[in-house]
Amino acid sequence: MCQLYCPESTVLLTEEKKVIFDYRYCKGCGVCANECPVNAISMVKEGTQ
Amino acid sequence: MINETFDKHYEESRIQGGSTCCPGCGGPLFWKIALQVLGPKTIVYGDGPCAMCALRYIKVPHMAIHFSFIADGATGINAALRAKGRNDVTLISSAGDGASADISFGKISAAAERNENMIQICIDNEAYMNTGIQKSGLTPYGAWTTTTPTGKESNKKDIPMILAAHKIPYVATASVAYPQDLKRKLEKAMSIEGFKYIHTIIPCPTGWRFDPAKAVEVTRLGVDTWVSPMYEIEEGVLTMSRKAEAKPVTEYLKAQGRFRNLDEEQIKFIQDEVDAKRSELLSLDGKKIIH
Amino acid sequence: MSDKEFTKMMEGNEAAAWGAKISRAEVVPAYPITPQTELISNIATLIAEGTMKTEYIKVEGEHTAMAAAVGASTAGARVFTASSSQGVAFMDEPLWIPPGNRLPIVMCFVNRTMAPLGGLRPDHNDSLHQRDKGWILLYCENSQEVVDTIVQAYKIAENSDIYLPVGVCYDGYFVSATATPTTVPDQAKVDEWLPPYKHEWYDLMPETHKMPPRGSFLEKRMGVADAQQKAKKVIKDVDADYKKHFGRGYGGLLEEYECDGAEAVLITMDSMTGTARDVIDEMRAEGKKIGLIKLKCFRPFPSEEFQKIAPKYKAIGVVDRNNSFGSAGGGIVNIELSRALYNEKDKPLLVNFHVGLSGTDVTMNQIRYMADETLEAAKTGKVKHVVDWVESHDLGEVM
Repeated sequence: MCQLYCPESTVLLTEEKKVIFDYRYCKGCGVCANECPVNAISMVKEGTQ
Repeated sequence: MINETFDKHYEESRIQGGSTCCPGCGGPLFWKIALQVLGPKTIVYGDGPCAMCALRYIKVPHMAIHFSFIADGATGINAALRAKGRNDVTLISSAGDGASADISFGKISAAAERNENMIQICIDNEAYMNTGIQKSGLTPYGAWTTTTPTGKESNKKDIPMILAAHKIPYVATASVAYPQDLKRKLEKAMSIEGFKYIHTIIPCPTGWRFDPAKAVEVTRLGVDTWVSPMYEIEEGVLTMSRKAEAKPVTEYLKAQGRFRNLDEEQIKFIQDEVDAKRSELLSLDGKKIIH
Repeated sequence: MSDKEFTKMMEGNEAAAWGAKISRAEVVPAYPITPQTELISNIATLIAEGTMKTEYIKVEGEHTAMAAAVGASTAGARVFTASSSQGVAFMDEPLWIPPGNRLPIVMCFVNRTMAPLGGLRPDHNDSLHQRDKGWILLYCENSQEVVDTIVQAYKIAENSDIYLPVGVCYDGYFVSATATPTTVPDQAKVDEWLPPYKHEWYDLMPETHKMPPRGSFLEKRMGVADAQQKAKKVIKDVDADYKKHFGRGYGGLLEEYECDGAEAVLITMDSMTGTARDVIDEMRAEGKKIGLIKLKCFRPFPSEEFQKIAPKYKAIGVVDRNNSFGSAGGGIVNIELSRALYNEKDKPLLVNFHVGLSGTDVTMNQIRYMADETLEAAKTGKVKHVVDWVESHDLGEVM
């Protein structure tokens, strides 16, 4: 779902069923987290971790 | 290592990530989905919508003039392709809602009348978003924009039906919340000769006033409440793409700040309109509606 | 049969259609407007007969016509179109694009006056209005010149140092609908002289896709300005080369007619030149030292040519078949020429005339009047008016 709906193509589901992100281009819109049916993604504000 | 994976992914999917569109914009999402079926032998002509920012990131040949020339440049490209004996290129003519409803409405109508061999796409975010959220002919009734601060008083133009009346071979409405359906419709359009029109609603978190994370969710609600019904009209025959029960329109309206001004009476008006449209469409499902 | 050279009585609009045909225009997006209409219906006929192989797009308006032209030219097709007056105005928005994007489109401006100050007949405001955009503007006196100039126009436009669109301008009715003997050159000879169109900067085909690099706006603007200046030599060279191959030339940027020993000259453009030649001949026979300069190329304005020849004369009568209301002084050609000669040490008096506005006939009487006024200025050293509206004088029986 995340790969399907990410507007910027910056989320990919690898063959090993891992989720990877391209942080160079991700805008932090949060669609991936919102759409994930198993809540596997959390949005963390940049610089707070 | 991850960067290489992504760079390869952008090349193969023919769209570069990280457009200058707002977070959650449906424009790049639309092109990402579309390019999964369009293939490399595609020329895209188009300009105008905010979603134009996304067009800078596609990796197929692309040219634009201004949004007052929608379908015109594509008409010229079409003629050049014929003159060169090329019939193996998919020509997409892209437009936002401002161009389609207003400044290039006549152009699209004329291209339809000439049955130009192209897929005309309307990427509809329901206002002139690129210039700061002004009303267009495709802004829905009651929506806030900077030029309709108390809510738009007139109705949304029904361009798919208007173009269907031109007797073009294929008309479809689609949504980026249902990507498989959109891809199916694009593939069908690619297989038909003549003027095809696909109208796709895309979310605009900035102009519709909601949290970008809900972009796809809100768009999906638009379809599920039947505010944006999905159908095809092929050779004049209507086929509904979804016949599910309708969720109440309030779910859709309350999810967006642009409808905050609506009172109970207006919401009821919208619900009645949507209900009437839904029953009409369902009753005509499978029938020839353009003669 | 239709590919071999032939000569017949031909109106300007038919000549233009043949010009487009022998130039092998690939795409013609056009919308009819009087007095251009027969040009495009002639093209439609040539296509229907199988004589011309061209994609003719019957667009729904001129605004669309020029945009379709831009799309087709960017996609690699040789493009031809045409319009007049209100149609030219309606396509004003896209008319900026071919010069800015360096697209070698050739368009016929079948001159017609602009509403509301006139009807269907010609003056030059519609085509001259393009003078700021970067279009090359060439004016034709008769049907023969129309055919030849269209072929030359493609050679000029598609020169990779130029890449600017060219307007081939000719008067509605007086050229467009007046039949004169016209020779259409042999197709094979034209093919040899004018190779197929291939833009070095643009390719929209998926296999070979390329577009010009981003570049700054300033760079692009200076590029257009530079190309306009370079075009002066290219236009002259192309005309000379055309004359060598086809036997007809037009002097490049301008033609001097009966100027030897003249004290004063008139400058005319387009169809009135034909009438002026006869008047000059008559006046020369009477011993009057009057000559004629036919201005063919308005853009780029041939400043250097004028700087060379103007000092020979005491007065130049500039005939402006146009208005530029509120201008620094008189009509458009007058203002351009004034600037061209401003810094010269020896410069003649400029006597400015408005005539033929709103498409009224430019008569032999009026030309003689303008010639006489200019000769008088040459003699007295005085100019009577900022601009002389010739039509407001009663010059007796029209001849």
